[in-house]
Amino acid sequence: MAEPHAHAAAHDDHDHKPHGWRRWVFATNHKDIGTMYLVLSCTMFFIGGIAAECIRLELFRPGLQFFDPQFFNSLTTMHGLIMIFGAIMPAFVGLANWMVPMQVGAPDMALPRLNNFSFWILPFAFTLLIGSFFVPGGAPAGGWTMYPPLILQTGAAFPMLIFSVHLMGMSSILGAINVIVTIMNMRAPGMTLLRMPLFVWSWLITAYLLIAVMPVLAGAVTMLLTDHFFGTTFFTAAGGGDPVMFQHIFWFFGHPEVYIMILPAFGIISEIIPTFSRKPLFGYEAMVYAVASIAFLSFIVWAHHMFTVGMPLAAQLFFMLSTMLIAIPTGVKVFNWTATMWKGSLSFEPPMLFALAFLFLFSIGGFSGLMLAMVPADYQYQDTYFVFAHFHYVLVTGALFSIIAAVYYWLPKWTGHMYDMKLGTWHFWLSAIFVNVLFFPQHFLGLAGMPRRIPDYAVQFTDWNMVSSIGAFGFGLSQLLFPYLIIKCIRAGRAAGNRAWEGAHGLEWELPSPPPFHSWTTPPSDAVIARGAAH
Amino acid sequence: MDVAPLSIEIRPNCSLTVRGARLLFASACVMPFGMGGFLALKGFWPILPFAGLEMLLLAWALKVSLERRFHSQTITVTESNVSVESRQRLGTERVVFPRHWAQVKLRRPAASLHPSRLTIESHGRQCELGSFLTEEERRGLARRLARAIGRVNESPSWP
Repeated sequence: MAEPHAHAAAHDDHDHKPHGWRRWVFATNHKDIGTMYLVLSCTMFFIGGIAAECIRLELFRPGLQFFDPQFFNSLTTMHGLIMIFGAIMPAFVGLANWMVPMQVGAPDMALPRLNNFSFWILPFAFTLLIGSFFVPGGAPAGGWTMYPPLILQTGAAFPMLIFSVHLMGMSSILGAINVIVTIMNMRAPGMTLLRMPLFVWSWLITAYLLIAVMPVLAGAVTMLLTDHFFGTTFFTAAGGGDPVMFQHIFWFFGHPEVYIMILPAFGIISEIIPTFSRKPLFGYEAMVYAVASIAFLSFIVWAHHMFTVGMPLAAQLFFMLSTMLIAIPTGVKVFNWTATMWKGSLSFEPPMLFALAFLFLFSIGGFSGLMLAMVPADYQYQDTYFVFAHFHYVLVTGALFSIIAAVYYWLPKWTGHMYDMKLGTWHFWLSAIFVNVLFFPQHFLGLAGMPRRIPDYAVQFTDWNMVSSIGAFGFGLSQLLFPYLIIKCIRAGRAAGNRAWEGAHGLEWELPSPPPFHSWTTPPSDAVIARGAAH
Repeated sequence: MDVAPLSIEIRPNCSLTVRGARLLFASACVMPFGMGGFLALKGFWPILPFAGLEMLLLAWALKVSLERRFHSQTITVTESNVSVESRQRLGTERVVFPRHWAQVKLRRPAASLHPSRLTIESHGRQCELGSFLTEEERRGLARRLARAIGRVNESPSWP
């Protein structure tokens, strides 16, 4: 507006905030939708977690104890699908919904009704997916990667799987479009691109990745569907199709998907470490370019997931070297986070603890990724527990820890209450110890040759499997502290100030805690933006 | 005593230019259409229609959001008149109300999920103001206009 208006109290008492179930079903407010995404994500995390605990229970001892191999494979498949599409991705979308408008100085997302729609697709998608456990033939058991021809042998659950993947993809696309339009068109005056917080930057690039690769997934699963029901032979060798081509197409989606699950984590860590180091982020612009470089490289490394299918030497070399290139921008990020802490006035509240754990443990996942990038070594590691350990270090101690760190970081802002720091610290130490007990021995198992996705194993692997299962039980139980702590915080935490953390910068900390129903009803001033953008 | 006319110009906040939107859209098209096209040539055509649908959706979203850029309203309050000039992409519309009959009304929405509506009304005619503003901004504008225009039962100032 050309001229600012006075905001007197008259007529201000009604904020048109809907109440009851209508508030949630018809929600167009970015915070309500963000909350729903986070609740859904938490629910799916525990459902996927139960599947994981069942897997580790079966693997506690050699031999078949509890489940038949088909059901075991259903558990691994559903665990993967639920955790990736149900827990990690919706959590990041929830965080984007909550934080992006507040951080760019916008009142809401650009397309609020689309935002509502993109959320409400998901409960239907997961009802379909989880419902597949109860149809003849059981849930899909061909792995989350859905490789044909194995996946084509799925029973009545097959169309449910395909349709649920389509719905999840549709939700992701709608969410990504909304994030892009919000960031590009709803930024407050003065919020230039290079003043945006790293979380916003990382989400902008993530949204770009999402819209780049989601049609590939949609097309791939549609071709599976037509191969199954309509007699096409895209991936059926008997009809002239090529099952290996599915792997190429899937991983052209799948590798950027890995970065879709980690780039927002980089953004979160880039918010938290400066706050608790009480220093500006070291090398802000380098961090932006590093995220963009990682995103670009993610398009040209897909075949490192499938070195063993057989490909020309030149292709193997290309994919090996391009994969190793990713270590450079990732190294820039790790170096800059470390440099941010250098000579900082560090304090170790739960968000910082989880961020530090991310830094150490994600790096372990990165290093094992470099080992896997080497073609000759990968021939040995392929489909062993080494791969399993690698991607769990990336996705659990990377993506999941960053989400927990983000919740601990912004929870005082969302609720207006501080949480129980002692309990949060306990949550951290239990998680950090048990996650390593859970996943680190799997490196040894993999190097010794234990294959993935097998419900039984040779007795020589027993000891480390027992250790790993104990870690899984401890890690699973310690996660129960998390929802308890959040509920306790909402109900009875002491009041949090607007700037809940002493070293916090960014526009969101200029708003009251909790923020009003509509975030920035008048755009923040340039001085406020400059204060927030003190990179 | 002549009073200088009050002029208020309102427009939504848009950080994206049309050129920027075109560049963004073009860059977003590269990968889905590039990969979709390449795979279609190899016989795996079903990716391309999904890419097309997705890009249509992105184009629609950008268009809807960019429409805001072309909206603006200028409200001019003089001694005798209140005029509202509304500009959109396709043209400009000007409505003039006699000041001493004009009423500023801020209506609560019929459904709580909808935005309120701010209008200037007189003699059975009405003109909506600030539909693109946020709730808070609209209420602020309503208060300001109510003060500037006065009430229907107030006499116009002495000539």
